[in-house]
Amino acid sequence: MNKMMRDKKAILLFMAPAFILFTLVLFIPICQSVYYSFCDYDALTPPEFVGLKNYTKLLRDDTMKVALKNSLFFMIFSIVSQLICGLILAGLLTNIKKGRNLFKNIYYLPCVLSSAALGLLWMFIFSTKLGINQLLAMVGIEGPLWLMDTKGTIILPMKVIAFVALWQYVGQSMMLYMAQISSISTSLYEASYIDGCTKTKTFRYITLPLLRPMMATAMSLNAIGSLKFFDLVFNMTEGGPNHKTEVLATHLYTQGFKFFKYGYASAIGVVLLVLCLFVTFVINKYIKIDNYEM
Amino acid sequence: MKRKLLSVVLAAAMLTTVLAGCGGGSGDAGTNPSSDSGASSSSDSGAASGDVEEITWMFWDDLNATEDLISLGYKDVLDRFNTDYAGQYHVTAITTNLEEYYPKLNALVAANETPDVFIVSPGANLTDYVTPGVTADLTSILKDENPDWYASFSGGVFDKQTYDGKIYAIPTNMAAACVFYNTEIFEKAGASVPTTYDELLDACEKIQAAGYTPITISAGTAWCLSMLVGYLCDREGGPDNLDKINAGTGSWLDPSFIAAGEKMVELSQYFQKTAAGDTNDVATAAFYNEEAAMLIQGSWAIGQINGANPAFEDKCGVFQFPGIPGGADPNRIIAKTDSLAMSSKTEHKDACVALMKYFTDDTAQKYTAEVGGKIPITSVDVDYDKAPAQLKYVMDILSSTSGTLGFYNESFATSEAGAEFDNQMVSIYLGDQTVEEGFQKVQNFFEEEVWK
Repeated sequence: MNKMMRDKKAILLFMAPAFILFTLVLFIPICQSVYYSFCDYDALTPPEFVGLKNYTKLLRDDTMKVALKNSLFFMIFSIVSQLICGLILAGLLTNIKKGRNLFKNIYYLPCVLSSAALGLLWMFIFSTKLGINQLLAMVGIEGPLWLMDTKGTIILPMKVIAFVALWQYVGQSMMLYMAQISSISTSLYEASYIDGCTKTKTFRYITLPLLRPMMATAMSLNAIGSLKFFDLVFNMTEGGPNHKTEVLATHLYTQGFKFFKYGYASAIGVVLLVLCLFVTFVINKYIKIDNYEM
Repeated sequence: MKRKLLSVVLAAAMLTTVLAGCGGGSGDAGTNPSSDSGASSSSDSGAASGDVEEITWMFWDDLNATEDLISLGYKDVLDRFNTDYAGQYHVTAITTNLEEYYPKLNALVAANETPDVFIVSPGANLTDYVTPGVTADLTSILKDENPDWYASFSGGVFDKQTYDGKIYAIPTNMAAACVFYNTEIFEKAGASVPTTYDELLDACEKIQAAGYTPITISAGTAWCLSMLVGYLCDREGGPDNLDKINAGTGSWLDPSFIAAGEKMVELSQYFQKTAAGDTNDVATAAFYNEEAAMLIQGSWAIGQINGANPAFEDKCGVFQFPGIPGGADPNRIIAKTDSLAMSSKTEHKDACVALMKYFTDDTAQKYTAEVGGKIPITSVDVDYDKAPAQLKYVMDILSSTSGTLGFYNESFATSEAGAEFDNQMVSIYLGDQTVEEGFQKVQNFFEEEVWK
């Protein structure tokens, strides 16, 4: 292995595929998007440089404000809810003896299913004619317009979508925490039990501190994932009614693919990119990670 | 040395795989549209091979799953074409659902993989493709190369497909927006067919009192609700309303627009309770499942209604959208054609023209009227005794109209302006804003984006 690591040609050759792929599908398009964000571009005629016009328009765009508000709500909700629910599930599952694998698979299952299909499934569940409202009607309750209500700062459809996203992705956070928990040496737990710790105390004083690095990772993944979230929103509401459930990614899609405003859509994309980088930076900076020998 | 050689070979293999994955786009374009676009394909009655010219046709319904009679007619057209031209031409359909049609088409256009022939609504949507030169100019194909074909069309059907005297799309059929009603419910409720807005309110009141839902409409599919507002705007202010808006001399805060918005809010008390969330299909189903008395919809709904519930045809009546006393001409009707555009970059012009001819030949046009219930666009002899009963009512209404107008949301300069109009009308209906606030937002949008 060491011999191979000294061979610069081999290193280059092995790195080349990933490097080329990264450059072709990520780096070049990002650079192109940044350039297009300064252009009037409809993808059919050559881009025309217009300076900061798209960005100044973004500041005046009411839908952008709604999308930004919804995306931030979605991010905060996802980070907090997935942290709590993921930890609880991981804590519970590592402590049960029977059926651990079964429940692990059940909780993780929604993660591997297609978001588009799940979006449609939940849209039916929350639709006016099927699902929950029909069940409520059977007991004489008139259910709310789950996906069309527009009252309040954060409207009901956004909360519904956030709940569905939690249901879908909590398994992923749970798996990450479980992986980290299983890497904690059992001798630490044994020592704590000898010292008279209860299970709750070992979780509080041993498991939680040692989970911190994974928390930072899971939170970063949640934050980025929820900022660029698209599929469930698109399949459940398409950003409607009247753009009230628009998030950054759906706003970008609508502007680009529906109205041929690729320059403007690129500007939204750049804002999204900057936001993702900023949030990741903040999380990594403020979640202190102590390294312990495990 | 051996190990070094192995590592080089393996790395080269990986690189080749990666690069093979990146390439191969343009060469294959068109031969397998379903895998290129992610859309489902249908109507493969024979595989393309050898010298067969392969073309693609994009459409907004799933031809294999649909019950819509017009869509099924289109499937027949493709099958006939593929059979008759076996060994010479072959067409493959790229299909999506209606809601995703334009974004997917736009993505293909932007990727330089425009389908050879695609369906498009006249108005702002067609303009979106004509302006950047995505669609081919068909004027000389029609007038010089195929004068007989051109002569087969009814007069005036190319008006909305013509830009600066050049024709950019071929209409395949026409539909008119009317009010479909359940004659049985009307009878039971003692309601009569309304000719004025006040009589419509009166009928709604009687139907509601008899325990039925008066109107089924979709606000979940925004254009359905905005079509009703479009009618009200036209009944209030006439053609001037739309003409002035498009000329940039009108205002959305004009009293006739506000009055139209208020009437929509007034009518909304008679909508089904779930109108806010119902999609177009769900709202239409409520009508043919006899849960509601009236459906305000284009006559393309005839194919959908009769396809899903053939027994309902006898109970389904049609009347013209009522006029508003003191308003404008009550005899104008919203009409719309399905149209076919040809990619300006197609390398198979002859195959495309041959296909478009199949959509407008006598077999297809007779089917359009006699089975599908839509209005043919050629002067084909139609046996109206065979046609759905509703089509005769629509034709009667059409014969007494003084003029047609397009859908409001498709009559503006851009499709985005139409979407803005749709969204604000839904927002007014949901009680999210007042009528004045809604029209003020439309006004602001037009000032910033359309009249700039």
